[in-house]
Amino acid sequence: MQKLTKKEKTELEKIAVQNRKNVLRLMKAGRMGHIGGALSAIDILTALYFKIMRVDSQKPNWPQRDRFVLSAGHKCLALYATLAQKGFFSHAILDTYGALCSKLGGHPDMYKVPGVETNTGALGHGLSIAGGMAMGLKMDGLDARVYVIMGDGELAEGSNWEAAAAASHHKLDNLLVFVDRNHLQISGPTVDVMSYEPLDKRWQAFGWSVREIDGHDLKQIVENATDIPFEKGRPSVIIADTVKSKGLSFAENKVDYHYWKATDEDLAIAQRELDEIEGGISE
Amino acid sequence: MNDLRDPRKTFGEALVEAAQNNPNIVAISADSSSGSGMTPFQQRFPDRHIEFGIMEQGIMGFSAGLATTGKIPFVVAIAPFVTARPFEMFRNDLGYMRQNVKVVGRCAGLTYSDLGATHQSLDDIAIIRTIPGVTVINPGDPVDIVKAVHAAAAHIGPVYIKIGSPKMPVLMDEDYPFQIGRGVVMQEGADVTIIGTGTVLSKAAEAARILKQKGIGARLINMHTIKPLDRELVLKAARETGKIVTVEEGYLAGGLGSCIAEFLVTEHPVPMKMIGIDDLFCDTGPYEDLLAMYGLQGDKIAKTVEQFLG
Repeated sequence: MQKLTKKEKTELEKIAVQNRKNVLRLMKAGRMGHIGGALSAIDILTALYFKIMRVDSQKPNWPQRDRFVLSAGHKCLALYATLAQKGFFSHAILDTYGALCSKLGGHPDMYKVPGVETNTGALGHGLSIAGGMAMGLKMDGLDARVYVIMGDGELAEGSNWEAAAAASHHKLDNLLVFVDRNHLQISGPTVDVMSYEPLDKRWQAFGWSVREIDGHDLKQIVENATDIPFEKGRPSVIIADTVKSKGLSFAENKVDYHYWKATDEDLAIAQRELDEIEGGISE
Repeated sequence: MNDLRDPRKTFGEALVEAAQNNPNIVAISADSSSGSGMTPFQQRFPDRHIEFGIMEQGIMGFSAGLATTGKIPFVVAIAPFVTARPFEMFRNDLGYMRQNVKVVGRCAGLTYSDLGATHQSLDDIAIIRTIPGVTVINPGDPVDIVKAVHAAAAHIGPVYIKIGSPKMPVLMDEDYPFQIGRGVVMQEGADVTIIGTGTVLSKAAEAARILKQKGIGARLINMHTIKPLDRELVLKAARETGKIVTVEEGYLAGGLGSCIAEFLVTEHPVPMKMIGIDDLFCDTGPYEDLLAMYGLQGDKIAKTVEQFLG
């Protein structure tokens, strides 16, 4: 486990705000996008790329690198924001989001965006792909790890449970899944649309080692995610309790912001709010 | 026609041979290894044989992930379960992600004749060929199967290979130069061209022989690769013989005949007759009887060609 000092936590919080500002920059360019899930997952992404994962932005295909799979591909604004901040590509590319043939589409494309490992978008694909990566890395004797972010609504896809069973059966303890449990999906509260409860027991029953954390607490994210495998021989899952659209008070916990069509006024308010959060950290 | 070989056993032996030459080849089983002729592979390379149980959506993603690390997965199971069932995984994880995975659908066409429409695979070519960048191979005999396995292993990119179940006659020379995307003229003729593929190539060949005895010169082509289509060979046949008949053990919608028609209708339209299954779920029964019922035995094909020629 990697302990996070107060100073490190503050530094990470600053990066997280910057990443949120990058998301806003994308929104200013494209005017529409899956903001809710991007902002519920962005603290996890920030921790992964700036404290947890072994990656080199100058060598995105380095064979020994850790892999990241955004199974819930619609949260890609957060991934683009984080990859740009980490130096995988220039921030200027963020301004092309929404333009014809932009490298940054509404779902990520591994052949267009340096650092993106998979083409996700259709839900229920990422965990299998990540499992295959984890299996291949083990077969090659590499100690690299594979990290996944899944949505909680996504868990209704049956293919995930095929993958969950196989990852456990094959003892892929180099695999860590974050469930971004923001509790909402398009039609309403996730447990009302299609309940996955009891979520921890469900993963446990599939042979996974489970922890539950606050998905916006960077200290909790880092200290748990650097402690894997939680149990030798088992894949690990962190159920991260999050808030949809976290950081934008007017959009938090609102289904309407699953996909946001932003007005100039909205964007100005969002900018002010993020500036305030940033100011709060530096105090 | 006396040299009959089991397509699955043939496939399995070829895979072992390919795996000896290439340590990156791994076999993926969805509780399907023994029925796919992969027992020798499992015995020879136990660490490279990965069992998943009956999980055909999952194995596509796992295979894509394995391929990102340099492995060359061969995913082998009953044809509809690795094509129709996990179609979106095939399309996105293998096709869109351009992963070096080889999917082999066995007991394809009507060859699971007794098990009915859930297990017969008549739409696989039509649906898989819509995926950009996926090579589709439908070997016409056991020699083709061996060569297709080696060619697929050497090819970088997703490949679908369709094989049957009953023993197949050897039609091709063991040392002929198989090339993905290149059809083979098996018999010359100037009156009509019969283009056959896969499990019913032998029936198309029989039809060509019957026609020859009746004084009709049928050019016979083994179109072992559906995608990319050998356009040059098709165009030459259309120009030189003026009439095309296609023979396949699959749906007419989207199959080989459809591929050729799509091409010729813009390049060089000629009268065509497509022989295959037309928009129905097929019955069950003995394989050869089913083929006869659907007009896919040599004598029936010959008769259809004669009627077509008028």
